[in-house]
Amino acid sequence: MISSATAIRIPLILAAAMLGSGCITSTVMDARTSNTGISADESIVIMAKSYHLGNETERKYIRCVEDKLGRGRDGLNVIPHDEFVDSLFPWFEPRTAPAETKNLARLMDRPGVAEAIAAQGVRYIVWLDGDTDRVAGGGSLSCAAGPGGGGCFGFAWWQKDADYDASIWDLRQLESSGTISADVSGTSFMPALVIPVPLIARTQARACKALARQLHQFIVQEETA
Amino acid sequence: MNSPRRTFVSSLLVSTLLAGCGGSVTLKAPTIPEPLLEQIEMSVGVRMPENFEHFVHEEEVYGQQSWSINLGRSNAALFEQLFAFMFSRVVILGPDDDPQLMPIDALIEPSIDAFEFSTPEQSNTEAFAVWIRYRLKVYDADGNMVSNWPVAAYGKSQTTTLGDSDALQRAAILAMRDAAALMIMKFDNVTRISSLAGGASQPPAPLLRRQQSSEAGAQATAPEGASND
Repeated sequence: MISSATAIRIPLILAAAMLGSGCITSTVMDARTSNTGISADESIVIMAKSYHLGNETERKYIRCVEDKLGRGRDGLNVIPHDEFVDSLFPWFEPRTAPAETKNLARLMDRPGVAEAIAAQGVRYIVWLDGDTDRVAGGGSLSCAAGPGGGGCFGFAWWQKDADYDASIWDLRQLESSGTISADVSGTSFMPALVIPVPLIARTQARACKALARQLHQFIVQEETA
Repeated sequence: MNSPRRTFVSSLLVSTLLAGCGGSVTLKAPTIPEPLLEQIEMSVGVRMPENFEHFVHEEEVYGQQSWSINLGRSNAALFEQLFAFMFSRVVILGPDDDPQLMPIDALIEPSIDAFEFSTPEQSNTEAFAVWIRYRLKVYDADGNMVSNWPVAAYGKSQTTTLGDSDALQRAAILAMRDAAALMIMKFDNVTRISSLAGGASQPPAPLLRRQQSSEAGAQATAPEGASND
């Protein structure tokens, strides 16, 4: 039997949770260092910075950015990163990939590298750095099950931060075109009164969408540095 | 829900949970992409150790489940592909073959010194990591060891919804690719194997004696990555 005080409190918690669901804040910034632009026969590759350097960008995040950039009528030609890395083996492996644009000229001089890049029409490489982490959480939620059935009761919440940086390298100019950063923070809630009701903030998906949109504008729109 | 049906559902649930804790991984042989490199014009023999055909690593992670990682003949496949790309002619030697009766300029003996891995619980991350330490011994046509090179490789892969097994497999394959990349980049700089080109013996005639260089006969042990590159 639920007491009257609890009966009042539960809808309030649910209402607060509902209002707070999808509570996401995001900041996207870019810094341009040179002119960009891309033609119809040119393409772009999305890569993760090396895990040898401590980077932990998720593969699904890279795929998400690839998918978002390539989608739609004005989508860019995106070469899947695995295909690109295989075609240039071993020069874009985590151990061997160039860490700075000043190493690009030397890389292009290696046998077959410039030809393989030209054959795929790759104009830009975007290096992603960062990841999504759970940074806080709280509340209490417990579940029990018995012969007569089961259920959960309580309230839990957690916060995730998705912080990603993208460095855009122009392979025609062999220089950096600039950087974009996307910092997204989202809080999810899970109230439970017999049945848990997950109110999930899709932090990483928002960071993907925000970064991809900014990246598209950055590359397509020509600006004067 | 009647009792037998409830028992069946409970059993199924418990079985599923236990299956999720299983730590047995079998690796498919990796495929190394054709590398962009200048092939070294020489004939090399490769003698694989027996355990390259069926390498199994077993480890009990303290306080957690036991893991069994069956690499099968992944190591053999890796080196067969790699050396075929790196050298113009490669002869894979059997255990009873005498390299000095083979028309080869150099003999390479790869081996595995260590295989280690970490689970997400151990590293407090969401990734599996694999470290493999290979050793490459290079002999000239006279059978003198000219290089003894330890190669340390590292692979890391995040856990996915597909399960721990997939992530661990991917980490192991990435470690092998890492080893391959390092060997392509540094093999000749570290071992100077190309200087042995032209030293092939011609069976069944007596072995050709190469003029001994100052390096020949001496064991050259170079740390991983030691080069001028």
